[in-house]
Order: sequence, then C-alpha cells, then structure tokens
Amino acid sequence: MIPTSWFLILGAILFSLGVLGVLTRRNGITIFMSIELMVNAVNLTFIAYARELGSLHGLMWVFFIMAVAAAEAAVGLAIFIALYRHRETIDVDEANLMHW
Amino acid sequence: MFEYLIFFTFAAIAVIFSAIVVIHRNPVVSALALVVSFFSLAVMYVLLDAPFMAALQVIVYAGAIMVLFLFVIMLLNLAHTEEPITRPIQQFLGITAAASFAITIIYYLCKAAVLHTGGPAEFVSDARAIGVSMFEAYIFPFEAVSILLLAAIVGALILSQRTSAITEAKDGGAR
Repeated sequence: MIPTSWFLILGAILFSLGVLGVLTRRNGITIFMSIELMVNAVNLTFIAYARELGSLHGLMWVFFIMAVAAAEAAVGLAIFIALYRHRETIDVDEANLMHW
Repeated sequence: MFEYLIFFTFAAIAVIFSAIVVIHRNPVVSALALVVSFFSLAVMYVLLDAPFMAALQVIVYAGAIMVLFLFVIMLLNLAHTEEPITRPIQQFLGITAAASFAITIIYYLCKAAVLHTGGPAEFVSDARAIGVSMFEAYIFPFEAVSILLLAAIVGALILSQRTSAITEAKDGGAR
C-alpha cells in the first residue's frame, strides 16, 4: 500500500499549481481551469483520507464537490460568454467596471 | 512494487500536465492538458481503492466539464488569443506567493506525516456501499445538490442568452 501522505503531497503540489495559475494568469478560461485543478487536488486529499480512516464520508464529499464543480463551471462559463458579448475579450483585467 | 511504479508515473504525468495547464499560452492546449491531468487523477483514485470515484471522475470531469470548456473556447474563438506577458511585479508576486504556499504546506505535511502504510482493510467503496450511504445518511445533501444543479442550469441559460430578459422587458415597456 502506498502511504497516504504521498497522495497528500501530490494533492498539495497540484493545489499550489492551481494557486499559481489563478494568481498569474489573466485569461478568464485559464483561471477557471486552474480553479478546477484546485478542486481536483482537494478531491484527491478527501479520498486519501477516506481510505486512511476507512470511512465512506470522504467519498460522499467528493461526490458533492463534483456536482458543485459542474454547476460552478456551467455558470462561470456563461458569465464569460456574457462578458465576451459585452467587451469582446475575456481578459479579466478588462472587466473593471466595478473597479474603484 | 508495481503499485509504486504506477503511482510515480501517474503522479509525474499529473504534475507535468497541470504545469502545462497553468503555463501554456494557448487555452486549447491548456484544456487538453487538463484532460490528461484528470485521467491521471482517476488512476490515483483506483490506487486509493475507490474505482467508482475514478469512473465518476472520468465521466463528469474528463467528459462533461471539459466538453463544456472546449465548447466555450470554440464558441468564443479563443484558440488564437495569446495573452502578452505584462505586469512583471504582479507576476513575480504571484509566483512568490504560490511557491511559498507550496513549500509551507508540503513542509507541514512532511512534518506531520501520515506514514503508517495501509489503512483499515475493510474499506469498501463499491457503487453499492456508496449508493446505500447516499440515499440513507446523505439524502438531504443529495436533494440540495439536485436543486443547485437546476438553479445552475437556469442561471447559465439566463446569463448566456443573446438579449437578456430584463432589457427585453424594458424595451417592451417603452414601446
């Protein structure tokens, strides 16, 4: 059996890559994909702990996280389509209407 | 031994392709690299004795969500939009923040390592066990998620329609 902490470290690396993407990129779609990366890293952590503790609760959480991620992707991409219709770009720096 | 080989191979694939998702300038390449990353995470779930979750990962993420992403990229014709590299201070701060976050979290994971190999042997995570758990203990969150998905469908439709219902109602009132 592979130690649980290795899976946790892999999850941490993937989560940090997602953080890097959100902080440095300005293309809205790429930022969204980075968020999906972070969600997946957390899912991996949940399943690793579910096996470690021998309980199904972690798996149930992963199931609900997947459903919420699907809803979030649908609404978020619709927002980007609406943004593109108005601004002809999905560069998040251009969407500065509510910027102080 | 074989297990370890699979783990390291697919961990390397997941990390490399996630890095491509973040670094590459073309969103189509990013989306396809994300699919590969999702598949290698599905392999991780199989290694963690959760084959049902692996199937779900492939169907929901690599199937549904990635098709959604690729459709939007195609719809907005983003394949050739390259973002120029600007704002060096912002980039530097982002990279520094992400790197320090990674170092901190990995340091504490190694310090408090969950190193005893092999959890309890009776970890069953087949579809039957998950279904029983979902429709007994988790029936309320299950229904809540179904309402959330319905709300998301309606919200996505309203947000992405060509002329919004609000402006149309205003125009109708003006006429």
